Amino acid sequence: MNNVVVDRIDGLPTDEIGGFQVRPGKPLPFGVSHVSNGLNFSIYTSAGTACTLVLFRRGDSNPFAELPFPRNYRIGDVFCMVVFGLDYEDLEYGYRIDGPFDSVVGHRFDFNKILMDPYARLISGRNVWGEEPNWEQIYPYRAKVSTDDFDWEGDRPLEISPEDLVIYEAHVRAFTQSPSAEVKHPGTYAGLVDKIPYLKDLGVNAIELMPIYEFDEFENSRLHPETGERLYNFWGYSTVGFFAPKAGYAATGRFGMQMDEFKQLVKTLHKAGIEVILDVVFNHTAEGNDQGPTLSFKGLDNKIYYMLTPEGYYFNFSGTGNTLNCNNPVVRSLVLDCLRYWAAEFHIDGFRFDLASILGRDPWGAPLSNPPLLESLAFDPILSSCKLIAEAWDAGGLYQVGSFPAFGRWGEWNGKYRDCARRFLKGDAGMVGELAQRIQGSPDLYRHSGRSPATSVNFITCHDGFTLADLVSFNGKHNDANGEGNRDGGDDNHSWNCGAEGWTDDPVILSLRKRQIMNAMAILFTSRGIPMVLMGDEFGRSQHGNNNAYCLDSPVSWVDWSLLQSNRDLHQYVKALIHFRNRHPALRVNHFEEDSGLHLPSCSFHGQGAWSADWSDESRQLAWMMTAGLQPNGGGLDVVYVAANMAHFASWFETPEAPEGYRWRICFNTGDQNSPILASEPILGSPGLMLGERSVVILSASAPA
Amino acid sequence: MELSKSSAKGWQVIHVVGQVDSKTVGELRDYIDKELEEGKPVALDVQGVPFMSSAGLRTLLTLHRRTEVMAVSLALVGIASEIADTMKVTGFYDYFTKYANLSSLPES
Repeated sequence: MNNVVVDRIDGLPTDEIGGFQVRPGKPLPFGVSHVSNGLNFSIYTSAGTACTLVLFRRGDSNPFAELPFPRNYRIGDVFCMVVFGLDYEDLEYGYRIDGPFDSVVGHRFDFNKILMDPYARLISGRNVWGEEPNWEQIYPYRAKVSTDDFDWEGDRPLEISPEDLVIYEAHVRAFTQSPSAEVKHPGTYAGLVDKIPYLKDLGVNAIELMPIYEFDEFENSRLHPETGERLYNFWGYSTVGFFAPKAGYAATGRFGMQMDEFKQLVKTLHKAGIEVILDVVFNHTAEGNDQGPTLSFKGLDNKIYYMLTPEGYYFNFSGTGNTLNCNNPVVRSLVLDCLRYWAAEFHIDGFRFDLASILGRDPWGAPLSNPPLLESLAFDPILSSCKLIAEAWDAGGLYQVGSFPAFGRWGEWNGKYRDCARRFLKGDAGMVGELAQRIQGSPDLYRHSGRSPATSVNFITCHDGFTLADLVSFNGKHNDANGEGNRDGGDDNHSWNCGAEGWTDDPVILSLRKRQIMNAMAILFTSRGIPMVLMGDEFGRSQHGNNNAYCLDSPVSWVDWSLLQSNRDLHQYVKALIHFRNRHPALRVNHFEEDSGLHLPSCSFHGQGAWSADWSDESRQLAWMMTAGLQPNGGGLDVVYVAANMAHFASWFETPEAPEGYRWRICFNTGDQNSPILASEPILGSPGLMLGERSVVILSASAPA
Repeated sequence: MELSKSSAKGWQVIHVVGQVDSKTVGELRDYIDKELEEGKPVALDVQGVPFMSSAGLRTLLTLHRRTEVMAVSLALVGIASEIADTMKVTGFYDYFTKYANLSSLPES
């Protein structure tokens, strides 16, 4: 084949540096890109005075070439150069930047350090999870040249309406690393592919992956002071490279094919109708504070990329040492470029932003009322169909659930939903009023600003905190395995052990725990908004009371798939609930209008008497009825009634009358441990029903055939 | 890398011996450009290939596209299980018809 661009004049070198043929490059795009006959390198530094491109052959300790950029290779603050004749597959590259070292002013240039390209799409150095690195390496995380030619075969993001989502939160390695997962490539993207049929069968239609941007599992790695067990940066909330999928999560990471493997995962999930949401960490980086390593940003332009105090110290709103300066225009562009890249190149359906409130702080840390970054993301043309979900708080004391600057676009992890549902479940007094708000999609938080129920990601458990089985088995955290003397992790768990702390063989306690898990799931899946479940909660996954297993690459964190067998009935129940939700549009209404236009309110509350909820502090009984038209056929109604009795005694609930011509059918009853799912949906023969202590019943109204 | 050509059961067989990566892949591509005959199915005998890098796999995909345009079949013969595994998890595998060895090629 003739290469038609070979004759372009810009495909020919103009200079020679250190024996390499080069020419002045193009400043955009940043990073490295393929151009005719060569590679274009482009790197930004506003205060750096000189730049050298450093080239390594794969894995070599020392570079084979260092190419200083001539003066005329700099445009504005960007150094750019095309280098010809490089074997791109065998290449690793970095930069040296010269400039002042004056920490009070905020500059930390060091020409002795080799810096990683912040736009690196492929990073080597931690290619196989847990493989002990060479600690003497002068350049530990190495930028490589990627090839963006994956064959997507017509795939595109699924664009499922937010209100129809059911999100499953998972950690790539923890999900399949256990031998009980029985996958060919445990703990990898490929291993996750093997579990897609399971997820599809469960009925979820979105998977939210804990961080998959390149991170170093050895960051702050240490041995447990008592057990000697190696502790890792297991969760990965500390980014090394924002544009690169983690190599150690790929079975093919040692061949540098993590991009292809991750894309194959996304493509296969999409084929199964499952969206991919990435948990992204833009609030800080792996470079820590002034004691931390210089890997990239710190040596490229410290003052631009990080929030610094007037004395040049790192602000620490993230709780991890530094804070990315997200509302600096250059950093904002980097974040935007990054998300656009993931959306366009990896077909990502949505992003969940870790400690997102930080993204709304100005360079001096003050919260902004209209943060430019959040606005840019909300109105970006490439991200327009991506879900944007904020963890609407930070470690600096900003708590913005309900007030996160949303620009009509942002959803939120609803921490208030979690706390309220937990407290109602364990029988706290004074919860029914708030629960009524949470069930409807939290209109108290979102209605006044014109937002909708699907703004709220409803969850009772997530990676951060107890698993659901642990929530009903432990009153307090048991984090000794983390090696911090049980001081780490939250204490505001709102958990209840049902009568014994941790393991027990008392059948009454065990039965109550299972019922409480079922009650939690029943409330979650009959609430308006977007439900999210934590991996394995559907079959009783436990972390043995550890509510912060961020450092444990062990069976504590790994999903134990043998529980799927031993808790088969629980799994069947959750699966049936998810499918029930998917069948009932009444549960997925995405507006707060009270009038359904169907002679019944869209959502109404009841108690032991129909149409009369008891809102008093001592009330632990609440029922809700949700109504929607059956679209697109019209005419028919979809009505669901849920009664929740969290009192420690049985309670009679009078049901509201079913619409004319309709009859109530019983679909779920957590009070009946042996058969909580009533597959035949028998007709309710009485004007009400007796709910056992701490149990939930779900009815739906149907017209006689 | 050693490259040679033969024919078997109506297929034109290209024998590859050695590692296929960014260093050698140009050689393979040039050889195929030069030696490929129109209208005859192609079997790529990779029994002697212990490793194929990302660039190597990408060349296979390019070859696949070209044989599609030529409307002839393309088969991979004797692919090492490790390479096959890499191809599976990165999405390259399903594009190809595979045979364990030359004698299992069907008559064309």
